Amino acid sequence: MAGKKRYLLKNKRDPAEYRPDIAFQAIQYILDSRVNKIGRLKALYVKTQQGILFQIKPHARLPRTYKRFSGLMVQLLQKLHITASGKGEKLLRVIKNPVTQYLPIKSRKIGFSHSSEKLVKMHDYVGTVNSELDLVFVVGAMAHGKIDKDYVEDYVSISSFPLSAVYCLSIITNALEQKWDIL
Amino acid sequence: MAKVSSSGSTKKKKNKKNKSSLNVSKSLTMKSKVQQENPFESIWSRRKFNILGKKRKDEERRRVGLSRSLSVQKRQKTLLKEYEQSTKSSVFMDKRIGEQNEDLEEFHKALLRSQRERKLKLNKKSKFNLSDGEEDDFETEDNANFLGSDDYEDEEPFNEDDARQSFASEKELNNMGQLDPHGAEYDAESKTIEENRRKSKKEVMEDIILKSKFFKAQKAKEKEESEQLTEQLDKDFTSLLQSQALLSLTQPNKMGALKALVNRSTSNDDGNIVETSSGQKNISFQQEQPDSYVKLLGEMALEIRARPSDRTKAPEEIAQEEKELLEHLEEERQKRMTAADNPSDEDADTSEDDVESDKQPKHVSGDDLGDSFSHDVKSKPKAGWIHEVLRKENTSDLESEDGTSSEESEDDDEGSAEGSDDNHDKDEQSQSIKDWEQSDDENIDANFEDDEESEDYADEEEDEALVDMIDQKKSSESRGEQNIGSRSQEARTNLKEDLHQPVELPYTIEAPKSFLELCALLENRADEQIVEAIRRIRTFNAITVAAENRKKMQVFYGVLLQYFAVLANKKPLNFKLLTMLVKPLIEMSSETPYFAAICARERLLRTRSQFCEDVKNTGKSCWPSLKTLFLLRLWSMIFPCSDFRHAVMTPAILLMSEYLMRCPIISGRDVATGSFLCSMLLSVSRQSNKFCPEAITFIESMLMMALSNKNACQDSQLHHLMEVKALKPWLRLQGHVEEINSLDFLMLMDLPDDCAYFGSDNFRVSVLFTILATLKGFVNIFEGFKSFPEIFLPVSKLLLQLAEQDHIPDALMVEIKDAVQHIKSKSQETYLLRQPLRWRKQKIIKTEVPKFEDNFVKGRDYDPDRERAERKKMRKRLKQEAKGAVRELRKDNYFLLEVKEKNKARMEEEKAERHGKTRAFLQEQEHAFKSGQLGKNKKRRR
Repeated sequence: MAGKKRYLLKNKRDPAEYRPDIAFQAIQYILDSRVNKIGRLKALYVKTQQGILFQIKPHARLPRTYKRFSGLMVQLLQKLHITASGKGEKLLRVIKNPVTQYLPIKSRKIGFSHSSEKLVKMHDYVGTVNSELDLVFVVGAMAHGKIDKDYVEDYVSISSFPLSAVYCLSIITNALEQKWDIL
Repeated sequence: MAKVSSSGSTKKKKNKKNKSSLNVSKSLTMKSKVQQENPFESIWSRRKFNILGKKRKDEERRRVGLSRSLSVQKRQKTLLKEYEQSTKSSVFMDKRIGEQNEDLEEFHKALLRSQRERKLKLNKKSKFNLSDGEEDDFETEDNANFLGSDDYEDEEPFNEDDARQSFASEKELNNMGQLDPHGAEYDAESKTIEENRRKSKKEVMEDIILKSKFFKAQKAKEKEESEQLTEQLDKDFTSLLQSQALLSLTQPNKMGALKALVNRSTSNDDGNIVETSSGQKNISFQQEQPDSYVKLLGEMALEIRARPSDRTKAPEEIAQEEKELLEHLEEERQKRMTAADNPSDEDADTSEDDVESDKQPKHVSGDDLGDSFSHDVKSKPKAGWIHEVLRKENTSDLESEDGTSSEESEDDDEGSAEGSDDNHDKDEQSQSIKDWEQSDDENIDANFEDDEESEDYADEEEDEALVDMIDQKKSSESRGEQNIGSRSQEARTNLKEDLHQPVELPYTIEAPKSFLELCALLENRADEQIVEAIRRIRTFNAITVAAENRKKMQVFYGVLLQYFAVLANKKPLNFKLLTMLVKPLIEMSSETPYFAAICARERLLRTRSQFCEDVKNTGKSCWPSLKTLFLLRLWSMIFPCSDFRHAVMTPAILLMSEYLMRCPIISGRDVATGSFLCSMLLSVSRQSNKFCPEAITFIESMLMMALSNKNACQDSQLHHLMEVKALKPWLRLQGHVEEINSLDFLMLMDLPDDCAYFGSDNFRVSVLFTILATLKGFVNIFEGFKSFPEIFLPVSKLLLQLAEQDHIPDALMVEIKDAVQHIKSKSQETYLLRQPLRWRKQKIIKTEVPKFEDNFVKGRDYDPDRERAERKKMRKRLKQEAKGAVRELRKDNYFLLEVKEKNKARMEEEKAERHGKTRAFLQEQEHAFKSGQLGKNKKRRR
């Protein structure tokens, strides 16, 4: 990481903008969650700083180490898709923007922002959402800044503290697991 | 261009490279600039994404306009020239040096040309040409350069030689150096001196000698090593010998030999150490040692020899032998009877010995048979021969009687055989068997206190204790008592027995075919004699001896079972005999398991139908009789209780449960019977872990009976129970009880219904105590059940209520508390183990592993099959090249077309011009002619 930082500085880039490790942790957490294991995670989209959008199939088993993960990402960004070993199914693929065209029609898009006025208890909040609606969560996996997407219907803050992406995801997944009685 | 430079501005290296790569293009553009300023050449192809740290290779190609103009230039130089030449017949070639090369500048071209001139001059032909002054000058200028090259050429062979020499000497040193430095040195010297010369004869000889010396030295070295190794081995061996390990392994007498051997070898060793200098002795020592060693080895090998043991006999053979023994004994007995009759007490005495001696052959091998027998012959009893004869007649009669009917029926399958047999038996003694239940009850009332044996076991007759005791009896008592206990008792009660049964058992007894036969055989016999008779019947008619014995034994089994049942129903209960009968019954049912199961099922069926009848008319007590209880207990010992479903045990358990469920509790004895059934169910279901709710419910109702009325009917469920069973407070304690006595079940069964004892607090406390014990057993069995709390928590509630009652003795209190505690902790555990409610059945999604390379490089084929990848690559290149060629050809065509067009246009223009000129001239002419000025006034202007 230190070498990477030096390299970025040499190329006059802000190291804070290049944080694939946060994305790695977050993706790993989501795919490891019980919500995914039981098959209730329907889709996972990742948007990079440059605006490249890619989709990860929920049943993909991503590499556990960061090094291998970055190798995977390198290949994904160059080849634009990653197939499953053995089969031809595309587990990861770069897709066209905007992401809204892939989101379900009847869905509730919830964005997470510490700056939001609406401080809620995640468990209660999830309970209030109509169960017929699909849930779309937009979580920022970056060091600074906030997500600012016009398609997000509701910005909520789930803690009075600024949370890391992974911790935020843990709160979300726990709330969902409780809601759906997943053990 | 600006973008690229801005992105790479921080990198000096990259910048430099960029510059250098751009230099060429710059020079080219300069050229073109001179010719014409083409604005298209400055257009660059742009990248979509700027990838950090990625170099752009062959960037000039990316300048589309420039590359196009370059290609046009190239065509102008080549294609255009060819096109122009195509119509010409001769060519003017420019063969000046360096003229064709584009890269060279004028100065370099001139240089090259002058060099060429010089070379021509230096040729051998021109060596002798006298030079001019000018050329000399030229020579001195370039001399240094020429000299330098000369030097280099001279140097090369010298160097080579040197290297080769040093290499050769090194090699030799490596080869020979270790052995003989002098020789090697010499060799090396000789080699270095006369490298290329062939070896002389002397040298060859020297070489050979050297080699032989080397091999000798090597051999000596090897020998020394092996010597050291053997010494080491010897030392190890002596140390091993002194240690305890070998001592324990070998025999003492061997040890001495070993030690002697070692001593000698060590002395030898010492000697050897002295003599090794000579070297020759070594061999002799080596020959000597294996000699003694081999001797020792041989001795050891001869020491232990396996002997073939006698073949273990097959069970059939053993049975056959036993049978033969019995026959032999019988023969002897018959002989004795006919020869001389001197019956006395002694003989009777010895008859008992005989029983013993009969048993002995079971343990003694067949070889010893003759001796023991001859010893017995002297003291053979003769008494009872009349009886024997009578019996013989009797049996033969019966055989002839029954033989026809029973054997015929046996020809059918076993089940029907059994049924008909039973029917037959019934016919014969309808009175005793048909109404055994009723007669049983009547008899109980009549006489209940003259069973000595049952008193003997009184202590052990506690419900659960009884269960355990019979278990033990099955294994130890029935055998032990038969063999040892009986004998010791016999010695004591010898006289008594002799008095009322001086009859001697025959050795060979045919299997009785009916109950009457058996009764006749076993009438007035002592318990031990009965067991012995059964044993003899079984040995004489062993199934393994003859095939037809199977049927006989099956009949006998049915008869014996009947005997057991009748015995259980008899009023002075001969409990000891019953327990002794258990063992042969178990053994026989293991011999004919199918038949035994059928017998049991048949009996169960009959008992159940009888029970149903009894339950219908409510006035009667329908609790099972002692006989039924004993039979149930017998079957639970005969058949495995651990099976989940069993042909006999399942109906048996169901029957027991039904008793518990449907029988109303009318008297105190019913309470005792019920608790006994409970404990039996416990013992049966202990192995199979089968849940029998009836027993628990019964225990619950018993506990209810112990409660006082005011707090009894709280629970609706239990209230319902109360109503169904019409419970009376049979177990409520009225007074204070000091101690808790264990109950004697057999005695209780003998007591009349309205006995005062059933009303006493003592009885109630004991029943409560046993119920608690049973309950605990159930708790222990069912503690693995998921529904444990639901089963036992109501019971524990009842127990708590019971604990609040007055007059509960301390010991009972402790038991209650203990049970409640146990139930509570267990139910807590099961609560913890219960899985919480879940959304749906857990089903983990199937994951898949993405395929990717660790160090991915774009464009590389990661196909594991190299050949295929290569082929793919080649095909791709071929396609690319073909496309490129097509493109080039097309461009060539366009170019030529353009050139042709241009030519054509020029020609047209010229033609038009000429045409115009001519036309103008002609027009002028015409005008002049028309105006009439032809030839005149030529210079006139209009």
